This record gives sequence, C-alpha cells and structure tokens, in this order.
Amino acid sequence: MINRNLAKILSKRYIILASLLFVAALGLVLLPSYQKNENVTAEHLLAKVINPERYITSDVLADKLILKDPSILLIDVRVVSEYEKYTLPGAINIPFDSILNPNYEGYLNQDQYDIVLFSNDNFKADQAWLLLNRKDYKNLHVLNGGINGWYHTILNPPKPTEDMPQEAFELYNFRQAAALYFGVGIKTKVKKEATPIPVKKVVPKKAVVPVVKKKKRKPEGGC
Amino acid sequence: MGPLIPNGFLSYEWNIIIAVLIGLAFGFILEASGFSSSRKLAGVFYGYDFAVLKVFFTAALVSVIGLYYMDYLGWINMSMLYVHPTYLWGAIIGGAIMGIGFVAGGFCPGTSICAVAIGKLDAWVYVIGIMIGILIFSEAFPIFEKIYNGYYLGNITLVDSFELPASWIILAVTLLALVAFFVSDIVRKRVKKVFY
Repeated sequence: MINRNLAKILSKRYIILASLLFVAALGLVLLPSYQKNENVTAEHLLAKVINPERYITSDVLADKLILKDPSILLIDVRVVSEYEKYTLPGAINIPFDSILNPNYEGYLNQDQYDIVLFSNDNFKADQAWLLLNRKDYKNLHVLNGGINGWYHTILNPPKPTEDMPQEAFELYNFRQAAALYFGVGIKTKVKKEATPIPVKKVVPKKAVVPVVKKKKRKPEGGC
Repeated sequence: MGPLIPNGFLSYEWNIIIAVLIGLAFGFILEASGFSSSRKLAGVFYGYDFAVLKVFFTAALVSVIGLYYMDYLGWINMSMLYVHPTYLWGAIIGGAIMGIGFVAGGFCPGTSICAVAIGKLDAWVYVIGIMIGILIFSEAFPIFEKIYNGYYLGNITLVDSFELPASWIILAVTLLALVAFFVSDIVRKRVKKVFY
C-alpha cells in the first residue's frame, strides 16, 4: 500500500528542494560578516620572527655584493633624501610610508630574489619586514644594523687588538678590502675623529626586476 | 584548513589519485543519469528535456553555496582556490563554437567520452571531430594567437566585476536558477513530447 502522506510530500519535492536552495543562499547573505585573519596567523608570524634567517649580516651582504650575486634585491626603506645621499650599490628606494603602495608590489611580492630590507638601523626595516610578512610575501630579510651597522662594520671596521683570534684579523682584512671595493679607501691608521669619512657617492644602479606572473597549471575539462 | 593539498594535509601526489577518483565518479553519474544520450542532451535546445540545465545549474549552486559556508566556518580558504583567467573574446568565441557543437552533435566533450565508453557510434564520430578540431586549431594557432592570448582580464570573478559581496551574487544566481527551472518546466509542458 502506498503511503499517502509520503506521496503528498513527494509530489511537492521540487518545490521543497528549490526552497532549500533558496534558504541556503539567503543564509549566506544573512550571516553576520566578520574580519578574517587571512593567510598569516600569529603562530605563523612568530615562527618567522624567531627564525635567524630573517637577518643578514653586513659581512655576508658585502660578500654577496662583491661577488655580484644576482639573487639579491636591496630595498632601501628610508626617505628619498637619505637615499639620494647614500645607499648601498644597486638598492631600490621604497620609502617606508609607501611600502604597501601597489606600484611597488611587483618588486616585493615575488619569489625569485632574496629581498634585503634596510634602513638607518634595524627599526624601520624590521617594521617593513613584519608588514610585508603579514602580506605573505616571500624571501624577506633585514640587513642587521642597517646603514649604520654597514658603516661601522664594512666601511669603518674596528681594528682588532693583539689578543684577538686569527679570524678577527681575517675579518678585518676582508672588511678593509670590501670598503675599498665600495669606494671608501681606509688607511690603516685612520683616526676615529676623522668622521664623517668622505662617503663617495655611489650612483645606485636601478635594478629592474621583471615581474613574472606565476604560472598555474590550467585545469582541464568541462561538463 | 582547506584546501587540503596546498595546506599540506595531503601530499602533492594525491592530486592525481583524487582527480582519477572524481573523474570515475563523474563519468559514472553522467552515464547513470542518461547524459550519454545525445537526444537527452539536445533536448535542452528543443525544449523537451531540461535535465542538462537543471543538473549543471544545481551542481554549480550546491558547490558555490557549500564552499562559501565552509569558508565561513574556516574549513576552506576561498582566496587559495584557483580562479580560471578570463580571456574575454576567446571565451565568447569558444563558447559559441562549443554551443553549436553541442546542439549539432548532441554531446559536450565530457559526455561524448562517456558515450564512447558505452559504445555509441555517433559519439565516436563526435570525438574524432574534436580531434580534427584540435589538429586544425594547433596547426593554425598563429592565426588564432591574438584572440587566444588577447583581451586578458585576469583571474576575475563576478565579485570583482560587480563589486558586490559574494553572498548577494550567490543569492541572485540562485534566484536566476530557480526562475530558469520554473520557466523550463512550463516550456517542457508546452512542447510536444519526444520519445527517446
């Protein structure tokens, strides 16, 4: 025997299914909206912050610059006037205020170069690093000590004393040679008071980074 | 948490395995619901059978509504999903050719393979036609290249074009679908029944 109630309901099955779809779609509209924490969670960010790879020392950077390492992209986050006074060779100037400017996104949002951010000290570069990581950009580093650190280690390194190990002298020699390379001749007997040393203006080469679209595999198929 | 593979819940190699399983299920259900019959498929153009319209519209709605609920609950990250890039005129011309092929041959590419699997001869002709079409397109690619790569609009969706919240667009599309189902039912009742 046919269940009459069931038959009655089944005769209206299309109406029921259609209203189900409608209610589900309406539910999406009526759901309260909330701000989502997209991509980068606090844990994710902390893991990156405590990662020592976040910093690059001025010695390592100097070595890479001398070897003309093509994978390095220097970003100067100081203001334009400071950038014009002195910057590292090949650095691009993206002032801190406009770090999120979409015009610069092509330079920052990429995965081919190791980006090195620097400012006068660590402070601004670190903030920029954090902001860009929040945007989930890749391969970001901060020059430890910034331009000041660069000056104190590469351009005007402290002379090691007699009781220091051999490595300290080797490092000192390297730094002196690097200083010469970067256009600052330092005599071995330079007086500390002689600062400011004549900073030879290095005309920064404007590096052009080709913005390569990420190729995604095209899904195939159809109905 | 989702999508599962980009977020590392499943290793990359599962991609192809899941694709094969979904493909098998898709083919089986196409055939089981009679979509390997060119008469059923062509019915949507002549007005005696709107199963194609209803099935594919419903499938799209169920998946979009489900995905947005899952996105809301944090089960999947919609921004990580792949959005197919739009090449405007390529899509329009390609869609028109596909539509003509659909109404003339009674298959769309997926269902034609399904029909080949159950041994339909017209489906074989259709698939050979597809192959010839691919050959012509490949050989004459320099002629079509401008359309193929031009009019690029990026990975846009209706949300980007209308600048409305996704939920409103989903509601609008749902209403559109329900109206289409309702109208198609009326049309089907008016059109002379075809036995197939």
